[in-house]
Amino acid sequence: MKRRLEYVTRSGSGVIIKMNKEQMKADLEAGSKDAAQKGHIPELTADELDCVLDIMVEPTKIVGIERGKEIVLSRDGGVIKYTGCTRYAGVPLSKEQGVIVGERILSLDTMELGHADYSFKPCKPIAFDEAHHMENAQMLSVIPVLYGAMPNLGTYYQSLGGRWPTPTELLKEGKIEESREVQERAAEDLIKDIVYIARIMNQSGADGLNMDTSAAAGDAEFYACLNAIERVKKETNLAVEIGMAGEMILGMHCELEYQGKRLAGLWPHEQGRLIEKAGASIFGPVVNTRTTKSFPWNLGRALAFIKAVSKAVQIPIHVNMGMGVCSIPMTEIPPVDAVTRAAKAMITIADVDGI
Amino acid sequence: MSLQLDVLNRLSNSVIEGNSEAARRAATDALKTNLDPLEAIENGLAKGLREVGGRFERGEMFLMQLIMSGEAMKAGLQVLKPEILKQKKQLTGSGTVLIGTVEGDIHDIGKSIVNAMLTAEGFDVIDLGVDVPDQVFVEKTKEIKPHILGLSALMTTTRTKQKDVIEALKRSELRDVAKVMVGGATITPEWAEEIGADAYGEDAVDAARKAKGLIKG
Repeated sequence: MKRRLEYVTRSGSGVIIKMNKEQMKADLEAGSKDAAQKGHIPELTADELDCVLDIMVEPTKIVGIERGKEIVLSRDGGVIKYTGCTRYAGVPLSKEQGVIVGERILSLDTMELGHADYSFKPCKPIAFDEAHHMENAQMLSVIPVLYGAMPNLGTYYQSLGGRWPTPTELLKEGKIEESREVQERAAEDLIKDIVYIARIMNQSGADGLNMDTSAAAGDAEFYACLNAIERVKKETNLAVEIGMAGEMILGMHCELEYQGKRLAGLWPHEQGRLIEKAGASIFGPVVNTRTTKSFPWNLGRALAFIKAVSKAVQIPIHVNMGMGVCSIPMTEIPPVDAVTRAAKAMITIADVDGI
Repeated sequence: MSLQLDVLNRLSNSVIEGNSEAARRAATDALKTNLDPLEAIENGLAKGLREVGGRFERGEMFLMQLIMSGEAMKAGLQVLKPEILKQKKQLTGSGTVLIGTVEGDIHDIGKSIVNAMLTAEGFDVIDLGVDVPDQVFVEKTKEIKPHILGLSALMTTTRTKQKDVIEALKRSELRDVAKVMVGGATITPEWAEEIGADAYGEDAVDAARKAKGLIKG
């Protein structure tokens, strides 16, 4: 029997596997169908599936994009990924040096400054120190430099040293209404803190504010982000970029709405519409990688979701592509064969503006 | 509609609606109408939570509703379980799950969702919270003797503690007391196998499914 040609690809967990074309196509299609069912969006077309398949089976380890289709590479995480020692590079750099490295050595299109703790709440006590670094970074660089942090609503709860009782603890006691109330109060605190940081960064010349891993704590956090975007746009000159934490908004509260739309259960294209209404400048959607499925399956799924986002919003889309998101396998160092294929597919099929 | 069929529908609907009081009343009426308590659970309460689980998986119901349904399930079981024991019958598919987020990790939401699904499936869930030292997992496993020990870790930097807990259980000769299930955003099937876990829960629904499988053996 003639053996079908097999191609090297990955599992969602990053393990190298081999699949033939038919298997890859079947997985791409199945992933796309899964997204279509969950998000009530169109599947990838037959032509699109064939196009992605061609990208997947390109013989080189790294694949690239055609001239003229280059996109923007925006940066989140500040300089933590250079200086952090736990699972990052561990290179000792000041924040200003990190910005220059990003601009002049790594050719990034934007850079970001952020607190090592990288959440909005711990930024408050050191906001003016951060502003000083931002002023220096602005004078040393040409590329846009944003200030970034995670909304991280959890830092407002007592389990993490905040002032409000932890909602999940209240839920365990059956205190449903009390749990909702503390989420609403914590959300109001978060909005105030985001706007506070934004005002200070605006004064120090920052080009924008980035909210990273938004809605990680569910619909109350997303509510806070949307309202914070509105206020930041009204009260400052900052661009606002918002990157999500997951593909669906968790219903921790269930009854919070924004402009008449319930936030629990929203998929990326629905999130994007509200984010655009709130006034954000850039949207960074996320689709979670399934480690028990193949990279082709995850890519088919991510492409269907992100394509729907492109159709739904007019603001630039900078899709989040890193460990475990938008089809990238769940490995600490994302494998370059998967990253470049997924990136090319996102540009070609999902029409993203940046990564 | 017969009285018993009406009660079964009320049991099921009370769980779907997350109404603990309605579940308690329906369970009481189940006993009054001489409905077999096991049937009341399987074709009443459990039927409702299977519907809830399906809706949660499809994104039609959310965590808060899942938790309320779990509480309603518990309320109904509280009424029915004593009768099952009295009749010397056995409730199948349930067991005790001891669960916690490993030391150094403070993430809670995923674990809460898993807890809700396990409770909804009839498990008794004992949550040790977050940032739980290895030794606490060991001591509580020895004390409670759960059917399943669940270890949650979100980050690559903390998932190594899952391995440490399993090793600590082996050193204390407690490894065979409970089946160990691991989960979390950065956890993979390969990781679970590498560290000697018995199961990997990809998400809350999968965790509950796998837990039922571990109990059945």
